[in-house]
Amino acid sequence: MRILRSVQSKVCVDGSLMKEFLIDESLTPEFLDFLEGFGTVRSFSHLRRPYFSFEKERFISIKGFMGDTSVEVRYRKEFADLTADFFHLLLFYYREGPTGIATLKGIETSIGQKMDVRQGGAAGAGHDRQEFV
Amino acid sequence: MPLPDLHQQAETPFIYLNNAATSWPKPHEVIAEVTRCLSQPFAEAGRSAFFSAPDYPAETRELLAEFFCAEHPDRWVFTANATDSLNTLIHGFARRNDAPFHVVTTDLEHNSVLRPLHALERDGCLSYTVVPSGPDGRVDPCSIKKAVRPETRLVVMTHGSNVLGTVQDIRTVGEYLAVNDIFFVVDGSQTAGLVPLDLSQVSLDAFVFTGHKALYGMPGTGGFWIRDPTRVAITREGGTGTDSRTLSHPAGMPERFEAGTPNYPGIASLYAGLRFINRTGIDAIGAHDRRLTHLFTSELAGHRNIRLYSPDPDLPVISFNIAGIPPDDAGYILSRAFRIITRTGLHCAPLVHERIDKGTGCIRVSPGYFTTMDECRKAIAEICEVADSADP
Repeated sequence: MRILRSVQSKVCVDGSLMKEFLIDESLTPEFLDFLEGFGTVRSFSHLRRPYFSFEKERFISIKGFMGDTSVEVRYRKEFADLTADFFHLLLFYYREGPTGIATLKGIETSIGQKMDVRQGGAAGAGHDRQEFV
Repeated sequence: MPLPDLHQQAETPFIYLNNAATSWPKPHEVIAEVTRCLSQPFAEAGRSAFFSAPDYPAETRELLAEFFCAEHPDRWVFTANATDSLNTLIHGFARRNDAPFHVVTTDLEHNSVLRPLHALERDGCLSYTVVPSGPDGRVDPCSIKKAVRPETRLVVMTHGSNVLGTVQDIRTVGEYLAVNDIFFVVDGSQTAGLVPLDLSQVSLDAFVFTGHKALYGMPGTGGFWIRDPTRVAITREGGTGTDSRTLSHPAGMPERFEAGTPNYPGIASLYAGLRFINRTGIDAIGAHDRRLTHLFTSELAGHRNIRLYSPDPDLPVISFNIAGIPPDDAGYILSRAFRIITRTGLHCAPLVHERIDKGTGCIRVSPGYFTTMDECRKAIAEICEVADSADP
């Protein structure tokens, strides 16, 4: 799964960045299973167009519909420079299978540590690590 | 009733239910007037020698004075929006009064009121009391009276809640405050153009409006009316096109509060919007909006997964949440799957959300004069479809 192009990009009123991506494959339940390893997935599969959202605190949030080839990704303003590639990395390592998950976990930890430093300590780091280790 | 399907001309039809944020579509005559304004040189007394175009600021002041039954058109001031108006009034009033004084406001207010008050409190200029609204979304005038102290100099309250759609009893509040010489600012952002208001019959000191909602003007327009301009200090100086020799900003109206070149196309849109309301009739607009509002509230109230926060709103503002679906997600689903445009979140009114939804925010649908019953029925069906699948 990879990004074909960025369809839309805008800065929201709260300063966060929103990007809409067109990807080359439809979103599948397997991809949601993969995402669950990195954050919270909410799925509304009973809707006419089954909807899902993904939230990785401090990193990114994703909204989309199963079967679609476009997603909306939001980046928090204060960490946008650190997380700008995180959605690309999710797609890339999804293709890699189990070894990809381990690699991405390492990258995730590294980004989280940089966020901690920026926030002035490790206070904000525990939550994500506890949740996903 | 002719309801032009302007929005159906879009590439893929959508249902626009975000009129409480910005009305859309705009009447044809508004678009035509803006085009006309931009097609010729501007003609405002003091700023241009061109004579054959309308002096939009002057003519729109006349229309506003007539529309709201307020004498002295020069006491209508144009600003960039209601937030700009409220900042001008609140900061200007604070500068005119000895610090610290006390202010009363309500939990229904927009951040355009709350943030200036908070900033002035932080700077030691004032303290303020927030009066809570009742379970029906209305502020009891007695609660305002109870909150008033000997050092209270100012009351700022909304005329209509942008979250609950409830209209407040400004008449009763105004009568009490007038007797006690307390400056009374009313934020009419949600009501101007929807709720008839006779300023000659209501005791208030300043009335704030925005142009881009129910007055059908462009974003970037707004203003206020002020009974006694001397009670608010000048907070912005600059060119007015008058008294240019003196370095002191003119104290006369309306230039006392208007520095810099005005937004001519925006004011032209406001001019045409007011004429559209006059031609259509504010009562006819209100009746149409009430029918749509009743349709939404009656249909959504019975759904097991929908919680309405104001079952009987006075304005076409219907706020709700769907159990088990965060409002932001619900808004995304409605927008992307069904092409229904709503607004989700806190609507810049954080205090009322603390009371009604613990600060999580909600979904707000706000139909307008150009929304049809069929569109509302379709939107209701889609909202219910989402809610059907959301059993917590």
